[in-house]
Amino acid sequence: MRTVRAVLVLSLSLAAWGIPRGQAGIPALYTLAQARSGHRAYEHKCAACHGKQEQGLVGPALRGPIFASPKANYKVRDIFLFLSVNMPAYAPGSLTPKQYVDIMSFLLRQNGFPPGKTALTDAMASTSAVPLLYHGRLQSPTRHARAGGGCGQRPSASRSGVHPPPPHCKRLVAVLPGASVHSSAD
Amino acid sequence: MTTIHALPQRVRRTVGAGLLVALAYAGTALAGAYPPVTDARLAAAATDNGWLMFRRDYAGNSFAPFKQINTHNVMNLHLVWSYRSHLKQGYESTPIVNGQYLFITTPKDHLIALNAVTGKVLWKYVWPMPGVGFKTVCCDVVNRGVALYGNDVYMATLDNYVLALNATTGKVVWKRQLKPADVGYAMTLAPMILKGMVIVGESGGEYGARDFIQALNAKTGALLWRRWTTAAPGHLGGNTWPKGMYEHGGGSAWITGTYDPSTDTLFWGVGNPAPWLAKLRPGLNLFTDSLLALHPRSGKIKWYYQYTPHDTWDYDGVNTPVITTLRYRGTTYRAIVHADRNGWFYAINRLNGKLIYARPFTRATSVAGFKNGVPYTNNALRPAMNKQVFTCPSFLGGKNWWPISVDPLTHLAYVPTIHTCMTMKGAPTFYHPGLPYLGESFQVVHDPADRHWGALQAINIDTGRQVWNHESNLPWDAGAMSTAGGVVFSGSARGHLYAFDARTGRVLWRSAQLSSGVIAPPSTFMVNGKQYVAILAGWGGGTPIWGGKMVPVLKNIPRGGHLYVFALR
Ligand code: HEC
Repeated sequence: MRTVRAVLVLSLSLAAWGIPRGQAGIPALYTLAQARSGHRAYEHKCAACHGKQEQGLVGPALRGPIFASPKANYKVRDIFLFLSVNMPAYAPGSLTPKQYVDIMSFLLRQNGFPPGKTALTDAMASTSAVPLLYHGRLQSPTRHARAGGGCGQRPSASRSGVHPPPPHCKRLVAVLPGASVHSSAD
Repeated sequence: MTTIHALPQRVRRTVGAGLLVALAYAGTALAGAYPPVTDARLAAAATDNGWLMFRRDYAGNSFAPFKQINTHNVMNLHLVWSYRSHLKQGYESTPIVNGQYLFITTPKDHLIALNAVTGKVLWKYVWPMPGVGFKTVCCDVVNRGVALYGNDVYMATLDNYVLALNATTGKVVWKRQLKPADVGYAMTLAPMILKGMVIVGESGGEYGARDFIQALNAKTGALLWRRWTTAAPGHLGGNTWPKGMYEHGGGSAWITGTYDPSTDTLFWGVGNPAPWLAKLRPGLNLFTDSLLALHPRSGKIKWYYQYTPHDTWDYDGVNTPVITTLRYRGTTYRAIVHADRNGWFYAINRLNGKLIYARPFTRATSVAGFKNGVPYTNNALRPAMNKQVFTCPSFLGGKNWWPISVDPLTHLAYVPTIHTCMTMKGAPTFYHPGLPYLGESFQVVHDPADRHWGALQAINIDTGRQVWNHESNLPWDAGAMSTAGGVVFSGSARGHLYAFDARTGRVLWRSAQLSSGVIAPPSTFMVNGKQYVAILAGWGGGTPIWGGKMVPVLKNIPRGGHLYVFALR
């Protein structure tokens, strides 16, 4: 998969710099493997209510500038504490701590947080004061076939309105030479 | 069967900036003159040919005096027309009818006006909510329908607007936002019109909102009075909260109230306290889980009755307080009857707020009994940080909001019921605007003594005792309606409209399977001497989200909205 390779290149180069930060100074809080595993868990346990593209359905959107807005003022720990105690709604707290951490990783990724070398842990997620803000869409190696796209796609509509392309998209495409660009199905 | 897919020949933006989809002709060309809805007609709504408000009349009985469809011929009902809506969330609106105009709302606050006889779409209004995240909407993005007054139709929205639209054109007359979206508040209820006011109530008990009932001028949208539902220090009930906690104390008012003209009293139910975990807020937490008796001109409290003291189980007291007269142990009472989330059926003297009787209508262990007319709880069944309890009913209730109907001829109340219990345990929580504020984790499970998830049952209002019971494998999540024809109507989760014999509960007729399950109440109306029955199918609402062990059996119910109108062949 070309996308996968592109992101691996990105994380390798970040690792080489030795800084747990992604482009534009966004903290790298989780690993790609966690986000992938979290994606699978999300599809089984969350997508029915929050949408296959996290766009919202009977539950709110979990991706995008309205979910992770400065106005909402969420820290990573706020969202993690809530979802790990009260979600999925029909069986709150029923997943393993690892599954919750992986799903949190996946949601970080879907909100434009880059993967890093250090794995997210339950303790880190429960205490992290990092503002949970939408940083645009990364290439999504965790979505193979229907590929949740990245920069260059048209604005997408969802339960919570239209998602404009993220501000730093050009830069993101630039650091990912050869990355394929998909359009989203949502 | 005519399925209406055809929409618009013309699309344009209205003054209100919503999307109005209208046919090339004004509504009047397609449905005749619009009969203005006057105070006199609202006062006599019980006998009107239309269906002018949420529960048909101010008393909230949802009883229609029509006899054309009756126990002898109801099996001859057939479909006259239907209308499909594409949204996949839950449909909870009652079809409201005036003359030949029928109004429904859909999930996410679309309002549709149709010709009640032909099903032709007159106009469709889509309330735009750009930038709204629906973050503080707990139980599906639903809307429970409209209110009518003069030539206008009123809707409350998920982003806390009250809208008045012209009933024949769909043009916005005025709009007023009561609170911003996504910070705890949302509205899902059908507004009430009373004495030139439009009255609404806010939801938000799961997010630490401080909720309220609000009256506005129906003509202008000007704010008239606001009744906060959690008591501030220095006010009646203000000493029932720890310092400052009333400010995020919940007390949502998310179901339309009732009105008693004989005492000039507005009745409105109040929801659960926030956070859910009661240990965090010692006290009675007034006026959560209570019935409020209000002066309609000022919103001032005449009296209150708390159904569940110091609630920790999410037992909102919002279910419709129905105004009736009953005879209990030889005495006649002007009463309120109410089937509460906590599993008890209450009869309350509507002159003074004193309990007449209370009886469980499903398994109820959290509220253990009554002393001097006041409920007491089983404190062993209160969860704590490291204590998990098992109690009944679940937080979804012995019944949820699905309204009962009270038949003055049979003296029976028809009560949609679910048989659930729950596990519940304390959990960490904190208040953050826009995030849930619960402090508990929980799961809905079966009532161990009842293998059915639901029932529609009839309760004698003179005794509080069950007279008949129609059990259902799936939860019974739809409102009830009774008629002078001796027929009770309600829809099932599997997607049938049922007609029961009001006295015996015998199933007289069942519609063909509708395209989805039913969670909305039916309505009935007469046009040109012909009686119609309308029901909106469209599965969703709180049950498939929070229903715990019920959720797997509900998974295959198809989604999507469909309005069906039946009449005799
Ligand atoms: C059965 C439906 C359902 C399922 C399944 C579900 N959720 Fe939710 N979720 C909701 C609803 C409804 C809300 C609205 C808030 C509330 O009342 O709790 C919500 C709220 C949330 C929020 C808060 C969002 C905000 O901006 O306030 C997060 C985060 C969340 N869910 C994450 C998850 C995750 C992660 C999963 C899977 C493990 C999941 N949900 C599964 C229905 C669901």
